[in-house]
Amino acid sequence: MTSNDTALMAHLLRRAGFGANRDELERYLGMGYDDAVETLLNPSDPANIPDDLIRRYHVEQSELRDLPGSAAYWMYRMISTTCPSEEKIALFWHGLFATGYTKLNQARALLDQVDMFRRSGLGSFEVLLLELSRDPAMMLWLDNNENHRDSMNENFGRELLELFSMGIGNYTEDDVKACARAFTGWTLGNAEYMAVRAFKDSIWPYGRIAWHFEYREDDHDDGEKTFLGETGNFNGEEIIAIIVKQESTARFLATRLFQFFGADEVTEAGEKVIDEMMATYFSSGYQIRDMLRTLFHSGFFKSDEARFARVKGPVEMVVGAIRMSGNYQTPFLGIENVSRTMLYMGQGLLQPPTVEGWHEGVEWIDSGALVERVNFAAKELSNVSSPGVRSIIERLAASSEDGVLAPSDLADGCLDLLGPIQVSEETRSILVDYASRHGDLDLNGHQPGDEAEQQVGNMLRLVAATKEYQLA
Amino acid sequence: MSTQTESPSIALDYVKTIGIVNNGFNGRGFANPYDIVVDGGGRIFVLNRCDPLRASAIRVGVCTLDEEYLNEFGRGNGAGDGQFVWPVAMAVDSQNRLHITDEYNHRVTLYSMSGDYLYHWGTAGSGNGELSGPAGIAIDASDNVFVVDQHNARVQKFSADGKFITTWGSFGQGDGQFNLPWGAAVDGEGNVYVADWRNDRIQKFTNDGEFLAVYGETGGGEGQFQRPTGVAVDSDGFIYVADWGNERVQVLGPDGSFRLILRGEATVSKWAEDYFASNPEEKAERDISNLIPTLPGHLNTPYHVSSQTEPYFWGPVSVSLDREGRLYVAETNRHRFQVYQKR
Amino acid sequence: MTTTKREKSLIVIQLTGGNDYLNTIVPYGDGRYYDSRSTVNIPQEKVIPIDNQVGFNPSMGPIKTLWDEGHVAIINGIGYENPNRSHFRSMDIWHTAEPDAIGREGWLGRTIRDLDPQGDNVLTGINFGRGLPRAMACPGVSVTSVGDLATYGLFPDIEDEDLRMFTLEAFSKMYGGAAGRDPVMDLLSRTGQDSIHGADILRTAPAMYSSSVEYAPNALAQNVKSISQVFHADLGARILYTAHGLFDTHSGELPTHAKLLDDVAGAVGCLMDDLKEHGREDDAAILIFSEFGRRIKDNGSGSDHGSGGVAFLIGGAVEGGMYGEYPSLAEAQQLEGDLRSNNDFRSTYTGILEDWLGLDPVPIVNGQFEKMSLFQS
Repeated sequence: MTSNDTALMAHLLRRAGFGANRDELERYLGMGYDDAVETLLNPSDPANIPDDLIRRYHVEQSELRDLPGSAAYWMYRMISTTCPSEEKIALFWHGLFATGYTKLNQARALLDQVDMFRRSGLGSFEVLLLELSRDPAMMLWLDNNENHRDSMNENFGRELLELFSMGIGNYTEDDVKACARAFTGWTLGNAEYMAVRAFKDSIWPYGRIAWHFEYREDDHDDGEKTFLGETGNFNGEEIIAIIVKQESTARFLATRLFQFFGADEVTEAGEKVIDEMMATYFSSGYQIRDMLRTLFHSGFFKSDEARFARVKGPVEMVVGAIRMSGNYQTPFLGIENVSRTMLYMGQGLLQPPTVEGWHEGVEWIDSGALVERVNFAAKELSNVSSPGVRSIIERLAASSEDGVLAPSDLADGCLDLLGPIQVSEETRSILVDYASRHGDLDLNGHQPGDEAEQQVGNMLRLVAATKEYQLA
Repeated sequence: MSTQTESPSIALDYVKTIGIVNNGFNGRGFANPYDIVVDGGGRIFVLNRCDPLRASAIRVGVCTLDEEYLNEFGRGNGAGDGQFVWPVAMAVDSQNRLHITDEYNHRVTLYSMSGDYLYHWGTAGSGNGELSGPAGIAIDASDNVFVVDQHNARVQKFSADGKFITTWGSFGQGDGQFNLPWGAAVDGEGNVYVADWRNDRIQKFTNDGEFLAVYGETGGGEGQFQRPTGVAVDSDGFIYVADWGNERVQVLGPDGSFRLILRGEATVSKWAEDYFASNPEEKAERDISNLIPTLPGHLNTPYHVSSQTEPYFWGPVSVSLDREGRLYVAETNRHRFQVYQKR
Repeated sequence: MTTTKREKSLIVIQLTGGNDYLNTIVPYGDGRYYDSRSTVNIPQEKVIPIDNQVGFNPSMGPIKTLWDEGHVAIINGIGYENPNRSHFRSMDIWHTAEPDAIGREGWLGRTIRDLDPQGDNVLTGINFGRGLPRAMACPGVSVTSVGDLATYGLFPDIEDEDLRMFTLEAFSKMYGGAAGRDPVMDLLSRTGQDSIHGADILRTAPAMYSSSVEYAPNALAQNVKSISQVFHADLGARILYTAHGLFDTHSGELPTHAKLLDDVAGAVGCLMDDLKEHGREDDAAILIFSEFGRRIKDNGSGSDHGSGGVAFLIGGAVEGGMYGEYPSLAEAQQLEGDLRSNNDFRSTYTGILEDWLGLDPVPIVNGQFEKMSLFQS
């Protein structure tokens, strides 16, 4: 196992998941890169904090009446799952098909949508768009419950084309109208009652009532429509079938997948990968899994250019730090405070600001967010009683024959076990200087929380505060 | 099939629903009710657990079967005297004192039934008399207090003033073993029943902890349970089980044989009617809605079905009985309780 | 801390999602309003009249009070040619003053650069809320973003002061490196340096503030309170920004919109009270804008994206009154079912930049626009 293999595997796990602690990393290294990719692209039998335990202690996550509990419920899943790629793909779709709580006032429906992303997020894009069109949260979010045969509401029809597939410039206003007509009657059960409860934020009398899709045939405009040059009595399914055939859809999907899993900026090399992913899109029958496979096996993805080429979004930052520290693996009071930090960093789960989602990449970084990010990761990883940090301490102690670490060993060891993370020479020398404050570190006979362990915690804190730690 | 049965039969008729969500310490309504106690005078005491954002409104609310809201009391959220963080269950002794468990503060707090804080006892630990996540609580006719000590996988017996008497149980699946047990009840003979939550069963013991019987197994069928949280026993020996994970209530015969299932059939309570009277636009839409809809295949678990079907039990955490043969089912996710009458 | 010359500050409140102009300044005297808005309208008797043609939404009481004092400029029919009805795009246009191309620099980012060309004061521009609005983004310009004023700062978990100082020094060195290697790294460096510089100063603001004004518990009011605290602490903050939303009322508009306007009017009312209490009402101007108005005809439950909208400028030094023209509801005057704007938003920007902040507006708003004179001379 070369250090290149380790660095590459860590890179894959940062992208397909939320990073990995050394135990996890070694497990994947044991499989080899190709099998690791297949495992990540075929998540199965995820284990996580069980629902019964969560609901027993967290009434708010049993009921899901409000946003904080609901966001925390998803966070529990992300930090404890044995299939991080499943959560990562759900997060990707959640950002793309951005559906928000504040208009819906219905968290159960939002979490059902996330479940749908887990179920269908790696399969056919056509199936995914169909599931999305049958998702009650999406229907109400984009007012399709108000899209009637005799009085259209174009919101969903427009965004389906503008934001969820082809993008502006690839269709006309007439196409928007045809699309909207095709989706008339696609609504949710008891739509009127649910809608009035949503905009009044009504919890009365007996709490929230969750949602399910309903198709109202008598409200559907089954007349002839012309959409992207094809004519027929199209219903939603046919519209989607036409949408997914379009090259603009392939380009849209490949680009978004590339930017989330490949690199924030699309360079020339990136353009080539996107072209390959588009080809895969068509040859595989619109399969997202295959497109990601193309990406993860591309020369670009494995090259230096792709390494640390993304700024971690707040969810990745928080979940990544927690999965490294190993904390919060059982239900505990205070989980909502932890999930709220993602909101402070600019990304609130289940509450994207608009249907356009979040502005990603460098736009995550401003001085307020940076302070939140550094503070959170620093606090999480400096806590020597966390299981993940204890594991790092043990590995560090075992890494030196005599249990003593020179300052440079301590710095390099922490950089390695938290990643491996690549830092500049300047950053590394500052880390080494910092460690030199106390001279060599003797970890022999270290006791929980003693001075020696604290020094490891202090070094981990500083690594978590580096610029490089902000990148994935 | 023989027309003569060995043990008596039972039938339960739905009476009414009482409740409405109210997140504040300000009058009628409940917020995540976790347990109910009915006194001899027919006053219904409801323990409200509340979610963290509104934990200052943790309280006991008192009402009548006619939906008159009489009183509410509590000192809110925290570790101070009379406060709670994660209140679970209540029981009343012969001196009309309410004993309330708190699985976060690891203690039992006593209030008078008119709402005066009395005192609390219990400290965290695993030694005799110490508690770790006290959940269910039951009091027998001699004022022995049985506390289900969840994380210590045992039941402890105390005097009415919290003096340790005896303990039994250990972690496991065998007879007399527990896995995160929750609710408890005592029958007319002083036998103790425990909802052995994660073992999906009910266990029966003598007053001193000798194992007598076990009822149920994991599942969704008759006589099966999915994380039972509460248990109650009436004067005829029928056993009522809050089958929380299956979103239902089951009744077993005195011999433990399956008798019936209740799914819940909530109607609009008086407080809910008042709400609709001032919100006619909601009422109008509700009236044309189907409150028992057919759901798509992927939403077919009891939890999902109940989240969408307002009349059904959702989060039925506890079952309680009064002296007139009435059953009270507290639903934590619906902020109400449903009342049934034994025929 | 006293300054001999009080510099003017601009406070910006962004209404995110497309605020419904027709239900904000209601043309209750025009029957066509009630024809088009058969469901989603404000009944005549509820409108707070300005004159016998138009009036305020009933939730805007505090703004009406300020209007009567002559402190409110209502800029009617504000927008731009070839209106874009997409949130993303239209908000970007307002943020970058660039309707015809994708702008990368925000007009306030450029403003901050021109106010503080050397970047001497990292607190020149402050955003109150999560995430930085593009309006304030400009390469090379530092803007501080404060989620919660009370707890702002680095490594609050380190109890040992010595260790905290030592760690902050190391942080400062790591983020102090020379620029030029990589744009992302450079951005991180600059941002980190600014965080350190700004944090300790900002944290003093609440302690220095005292006021009898009580702000409501909603997010906007709390952000506006933080704005007030920082403004009155005289830390050199010239541009203070916050946002409130979601004004995207496609359905269920009436109660949602009422609540949102109530939040805004309440927060602005409190802020003006606060400014007056400190004798500073002539030193701050409050700009309230949204990325577009909404369609003339309602959709039965709400209204969809439109174009021409309304903006407000409020302050002691503002020349109160109606600016621009109230767009005609006559069908011939409509723009594909929308209100036709009659003044470009960059005219308003020009007026603020030149008359209030003393800057050359042309490079900031990408051109020469007829100035909207909004201040008392």
